[in-house]
Amino acid sequence: MPWEYLDHEADIGLEARGASLQEALRDGVRGLLALLVDPETVEPREVVSIEASGDDPGSLYVALLNAVLAAIDVHRMFFRDFELTRLERVDDQWIAEGRLYGEPIDLDRHAVEIEVKAATYGGLLAEQTESGWRLRCVLDL
Amino acid sequence: MSKALNIKKIHDYLFEVPPHGRMRVPARLYLDERSLRELVENRSSEEWNAIRQLENVACLPGIVKAAMAMADVHPGYGFPIGGVAAFDPKEGGVISVAGVGFDINCGVRCLRTHLTRRDIAGKEEKLADTLFEVVPAGLGSTGELKLSPKEIDRVLREGARYAVRLGYGREEDLEYIEEHGCLSDADPSVVSHTAKQRQMAQVGTLGSGNHYVEVQVVDQIYNARAAQAFGLEVGQIVIMLHTGSRALGHQIGTDYLPFLEKATKKYGIEVPDRELVCAPIESPEGQQYFRAVMAGANCAFANRQVLTHLVREAFWKALRVPDTAIETLYEVAHNTVKWEVHEVDGERRRLLVHRKGSTRAFGPGRPEIPERYRAVGQPVLVGGTMGTASYILVGTEQGMRETFGTALHGAGRAKSRRQAKRQYPADRIIEQLRKQGIIVRAHGKASISEEAPGAYKDVEHVVEVMCNAGIVARVARLRPIVCLKG
Repeated sequence: MPWEYLDHEADIGLEARGASLQEALRDGVRGLLALLVDPETVEPREVVSIEASGDDPGSLYVALLNAVLAAIDVHRMFFRDFELTRLERVDDQWIAEGRLYGEPIDLDRHAVEIEVKAATYGGLLAEQTESGWRLRCVLDL
Repeated sequence: MSKALNIKKIHDYLFEVPPHGRMRVPARLYLDERSLRELVENRSSEEWNAIRQLENVACLPGIVKAAMAMADVHPGYGFPIGGVAAFDPKEGGVISVAGVGFDINCGVRCLRTHLTRRDIAGKEEKLADTLFEVVPAGLGSTGELKLSPKEIDRVLREGARYAVRLGYGREEDLEYIEEHGCLSDADPSVVSHTAKQRQMAQVGTLGSGNHYVEVQVVDQIYNARAAQAFGLEVGQIVIMLHTGSRALGHQIGTDYLPFLEKATKKYGIEVPDRELVCAPIESPEGQQYFRAVMAGANCAFANRQVLTHLVREAFWKALRVPDTAIETLYEVAHNTVKWEVHEVDGERRRLLVHRKGSTRAFGPGRPEIPERYRAVGQPVLVGGTMGTASYILVGTEQGMRETFGTALHGAGRAKSRRQAKRQYPADRIIEQLRKQGIIVRAHGKASISEEAPGAYKDVEHVVEVMCNAGIVARVARLRPIVCLKG
């Protein structure tokens, strides 16, 4: 998996790696989706656009994960997949846009795993290495 | 190990890391040798460890006396869980997202009933099924209350009072909630539209993870005078419910994290961990976050009030128990920030107290305590772990002097959720609990494994440490009978 869940006593760490920042951000979101609900039980019937911004790649990662959590409640949908459609630096801001694919919540069919309250700055890491990007933060459960 | 960390023993139940580096005050931990050893050995990484987090809190501007952790301490993000820290605005004191947490005003309400163990004998399964049916829980669940944007603003301004006004519960419930269920500094205008939108369908939902409704029996009384004041006796049925501000509170934290990060830079505050971003209490940014947190807190008060009503409804449906037979004993909050007056070195000071996974535990005589309990002290509710006991304790004078009137909030995690998930298959846990006479219903299997009793510290030991330290005193022990998990 291009993402990994890390042990944390109260919560959980989510680390994503990608050849590019774009890939790492995308896989971080996919990792979050897989943590919440078994993606196999969710049909990609509808599309929801999300956007996020941050002062740097780390805060952008946190903001993007939080945008996904907000989309679930606002649209009352679960998502199966995510596609990152834009990643840009405008002045001092990093901006990301993307599309979530899913369907309205149906608790009879969707295999819910756990609820995540928020992505936090706890253990926040955003580093570019020779092999690509590594993003990490603690999710508040 | 403790030598390498330079931990000094103050007495058998209190240890201290003296200020070093950028620490402004000491870091104090209410532990005994055994729990200190466990905490030190459990440090999973340099940054995800509770002692380091407490040292970091001790570096924040305007912190008074010490950064403290109760016996249920474990790593959080920024502040450790089980932590308390008070800040003086006159000394540049700050307000921090990590000191409150994302589940703003998460807390526990205890309901006292007129029932005894005998009254529900043989009806436990029916009660469990009815609670499961009546109380919405788990990710994606919705409450029966569908609110308009205007009504959400009233929830944020009026808290539990608004829920009572809508017919959820009774006026007398309010007397026994911290702040009577309504914080006056709440300002819905500084809460984002997204936060309100997320909450429209969630008022009156339990949530998941460690949130629960538990039916319990009082199996031991330790302090007859306090038990009498709290209306408790052996064999009596009580109900504890644990939940918070749900998505609205989570979104306030999410919105204000980057907001306070900008403030941290603007005011030139150096923080040892990025999660500790904060703003001076009296700055416009600090004030704005405070007013937003108060609104989030009111949402949690309203949520627990609606759930109280649902619990009463379930008891009526399952057992024909009238709602007047179920009274609010008390409600305490875990993730809060509050203005309080405390005496520090003989001087009365108005301080902003952050409690992250810890409980206010005021001693006798404080005006904040309901009149009925004032002579004995504030009830302190310590949640158990499905299979183990819960406790009702009471705050003490010593706690007022030492910990700003703060005590533990639960058993405290001992194993990570992933470890617990690997080690405790849900079906096995449910079966084991059934053999102990505890009926469990859960919306997600993951929450059974992750919340398995073995994933937590020994609640008996944690309570013993805090009582031996003199911060709280035992009043009653409660044994679980029926547990509804998110």
